[in-house]
Amino acid sequence: MVRLERRRRLFDAMADHDLDVLVLGRPADVVYATGARQLWTSGSRPFGPACLAVAETGRTHLLSTWDEGVPPELSHDDLYGLSWNPANLAASLAKIPGLSSARRVGTGSLSPGFPRLIKALASDAELVDGTPAIWAARVTKTVEEIAAIRRATAVAEAGLAVMVEALSPGVTERQLLAVYVERIASLGAPTPPSEAVATITGDLVALDAGAMVDGYEGGAAGTWTTGGERVVDERCRASLEAVVAACRGGATGADLRRAWESTGQPMPAVPLVHGIGLGMEPPIVAAGVGDDAVLAEGMALSVTARVDGFVERELVFL
Amino acid sequence: MRRERYAKLQHQLEGQELDGLLLLGTGNVAYATGAAAPAVDSARAAFMRQVAVVRPGEPAPVLFTPYPDGAPSDVEVHGPLYPDLDDGAAVMADLFAPGARVAADEVTHPMSRAFAGLELSPASAVLGPAKLLKTADELECIRAAQHLNELAMADVQPLVRPGVRQVDLTARFLRRIFELGADANGIDPIWQVMPPTKAEGPWTTHGDIAFPTPSSERVLEEGDVIWVDTGIHVEGYASDFGRTWICADDPRPSPRQHDQARRWREVVEAVLALCKPGVSALELCRAAIAANGGTKPWIKHFYLAHGVGTDSAEMPLIGTDLGEAFDEQMILEPGMVLVLEPVIWDDGASGYRSEDIVAITDEGWVQLSDYPYDPYETT
Repeated sequence: MVRLERRRRLFDAMADHDLDVLVLGRPADVVYATGARQLWTSGSRPFGPACLAVAETGRTHLLSTWDEGVPPELSHDDLYGLSWNPANLAASLAKIPGLSSARRVGTGSLSPGFPRLIKALASDAELVDGTPAIWAARVTKTVEEIAAIRRATAVAEAGLAVMVEALSPGVTERQLLAVYVERIASLGAPTPPSEAVATITGDLVALDAGAMVDGYEGGAAGTWTTGGERVVDERCRASLEAVVAACRGGATGADLRRAWESTGQPMPAVPLVHGIGLGMEPPIVAAGVGDDAVLAEGMALSVTARVDGFVERELVFL
Repeated sequence: MRRERYAKLQHQLEGQELDGLLLLGTGNVAYATGAAAPAVDSARAAFMRQVAVVRPGEPAPVLFTPYPDGAPSDVEVHGPLYPDLDDGAAVMADLFAPGARVAADEVTHPMSRAFAGLELSPASAVLGPAKLLKTADELECIRAAQHLNELAMADVQPLVRPGVRQVDLTARFLRRIFELGADANGIDPIWQVMPPTKAEGPWTTHGDIAFPTPSSERVLEEGDVIWVDTGIHVEGYASDFGRTWICADDPRPSPRQHDQARRWREVVEAVLALCKPGVSALELCRAAIAANGGTKPWIKHFYLAHGVGTDSAEMPLIGTDLGEAFDEQMILEPGMVLVLEPVIWDDGASGYRSEDIVAITDEGWVQLSDYPYDPYETT
């Protein structure tokens, strides 16, 4: 029961961080808290109160105008409908039991108007950063979550395979994207983590395919020639292996960065290592960020090495 | 187009005496910079953000991006920022002088800590007026995105036969949009089977229709009424395709179904007859209601019409719960884009919904969408 376990972890984390209410806006956080199936749109979403978890009642409240895709542990009373009018939204939220008396309200993010909304709904509440509690719950994975990541990886591998089959001199990145999305959609997983799946550099084609199954992301990558031959660059492979070997509980982002740099490669601007679960997650280790991140047992990590047009990727479960 | 948009943002910054505009939202960054970026899941979009900064008097926007290849040559490009991480946001503290008045669309907690001395206000006050009226080039981008979306749907529509799964339609659609040259997909395509009555559909908070619900591996059956809704991006601009189809080897709507489509058309005609500069959105709503025999022909949680641009639903929003006073002060002007999406519902016989896109001109309106209503007859 992945939903019940996630819910338990979230409420435990709220207790540990002394939060009476946690306001979530990011779709992945909402999935974590409720298991509800939401309409997928590409790109970032403006931050808003899409879900509230209330410690006093142990209930989660979800912005959803209907109950389709909403798990049975949420009752109709736990749903509030879509509003374009902030006053109507505030009126819906005001009905949530336990919100008005909250002392500490954590949020997943903020917008310039958000503190005013919280002040109106919970006048005595201190507004605090809710992300430490969110990530305390999310960052280590249950066995079922890891199984979901593996299922998504199997779909991603199928998407990768169909791109490899489509390789031929003159093939374009967009043609490869076309066959990839067709394949993952036909396997029931139509929302790619990223549409940047193919990068052609001269005769080299770096393929990095992802997939999302039940909200969880998996991925697989490698390098081929435009003629369809798998090619492994020794530097790229060695750099990947050095970082993977450094991935263990207690290691820091700085340890991973040093493992990478020890192979003579400059730090990439895009993440070398990131958490993987309900999409991309912390810890994120890239040029300029992530030195202080600390790895822990139970984390799922994606390690990607990119060297001179080559790519190699491995998922690591600590 | 980029220069015109940038000039509008500069105009707003100066008029509102702001020291800067800080944008993290995907559609907002696209508007301010014209930078291309691959479509990504929202979680990836949050951690691998593009961030745009506009300062008054500066000749070009500043872009921080993981995708530098997509940036136009006149934009000042830097490596990515990580506003969701403390060490990433710390770097952002130097973007503005202490005490600066900055309009922002999102403020992560790490940013909030790093920006302790800034006076922050909602970016919508700057973006809203700028995005509301489209330039001729913007309208061409919307038309191009819509045309490509329609071409792909023409390939999908014949597949809507008994036994096909919703995801099969998605697979075909996604493949086609990229073969045809789309830059990105915008939404998990919707192929929703509409029940005959509201009561047979999902429970809703307001008792009205549930729409749009996500697609799945559901198998479509003979006679299913399918409300479709898809959207893609070309040059940063969104399309919005909506039609009602019937699942059948040889779809033949009943007389009642044809009648629903005709009534939908009558509502659209009544609205278009008023569409010209100076008319209020409230007048459009009233005309639509009158054409539908006194009942609102749209879903309670949505609208009679919405705009489209670098976001798939943006101002003007017409007929929402923002209320009549809001609609009354929304006066049509040349360059506004309206995606008209009335809904005709006969409880017991399901309903009809399509979307047509028009742009307001000096004299009236011009159509940006162009796709047949088959198998329905609307005249």
